Amino acid sequence: MATGNEEGALWSIFGYLISGLLIWGGIGWGLDHWLHKGFFLPTGLILGCGASIYLVWLRFGRE
Amino acid sequence: MRSFFIASSPGFVPPSTNDFNLPPSIGDSPYSTKPIFLVFLSVILISAFFIAASRKAAVVPGKLQFAGESVYVFVRKSIGEEIIGHEFMRFVPFLFTLFTFVITNNVFGIVPLLQFPAMSHVAFAYVLAIFSFIVFHAVGIKKQGLIKYLSGIAFMPGVPKFVYILLTPIEIATFFIVRPLTLSLRLFANMFAGHLLLLVFISGGHYMLTNDHLLLKILSPFSFAMGIGMSFFEFMVQCLQAYIITLLTALFIAGALADEH
Repeated sequence: MATGNEEGALWSIFGYLISGLLIWGGIGWGLDHWLHKGFFLPTGLILGCGASIYLVWLRFGRE
Repeated sequence: MRSFFIASSPGFVPPSTNDFNLPPSIGDSPYSTKPIFLVFLSVILISAFFIAASRKAAVVPGKLQFAGESVYVFVRKSIGEEIIGHEFMRFVPFLFTLFTFVITNNVFGIVPLLQFPAMSHVAFAYVLAIFSFIVFHAVGIKKQGLIKYLSGIAFMPGVPKFVYILLTPIEIATFFIVRPLTLSLRLFANMFAGHLLLLVFISGGHYMLTNDHLLLKILSPFSFAMGIGMSFFEFMVQCLQAYIITLLTALFIAGALADEH
């Protein structure tokens, strides 16, 4: 079993990935809805996923 | 064969979310349902146990005192001290209460006659997450000041300025929405799914046993055996979830105390 800190890092990473997808995917979905286009949602999802992976690297991978 | 099954039996009603809405026991009051009583019972049991365990505190502990101290030391050492660090003592009472409350209510899910985890109602889990949310933000604000704490969350140091447009919404969402939500939903979903799983095997076994068809009667012990096996598995999940919610709360507190996350 992982130690407490490793387990915590695991869940924080999970949280970041979820919120990246939710926020930027949500913004993309909203833009699609508002402008009647179809490409903002996938763009937002990819952007959010990339941004949250970057954030995870900043938090946990840098040192 | 198939039509025989349907014709001979009233039909198996699979357990659903309706099985979680237990009727009020006193009149129509929504505050008199089983989960409410179980929560009160858990508070009484926890208090009684730890008062009894600590009343005759001796240098060489008796069995009861040893049991009580083991739980306390587990929360204090492997959650409090290891995660939060040198300021951990202030938070041990909160973490200890959280852990014992959650584990007792979870284990109620497999205690005969009680057999209902209160946390399978999402409201109970939300309340715990709200407590945890208030505590870790309050700690951070008190330690670092409101502005510094919030800017610490929103602006990651050592990143080019334009990247903040991308990262700041994610950080804010993580700290204020995703964290309390995952904290409560993880606990709720595990307890809900576990209880449903036990319902499926036990009520399925009961249905098979009381069915007219002989083959089903013969096979019903397998369903009951699965129910018993799953009860042990559930016990593991129940303890693990109590540990996880306490651990994550401790981690959030530790994060709020640290200057640079």
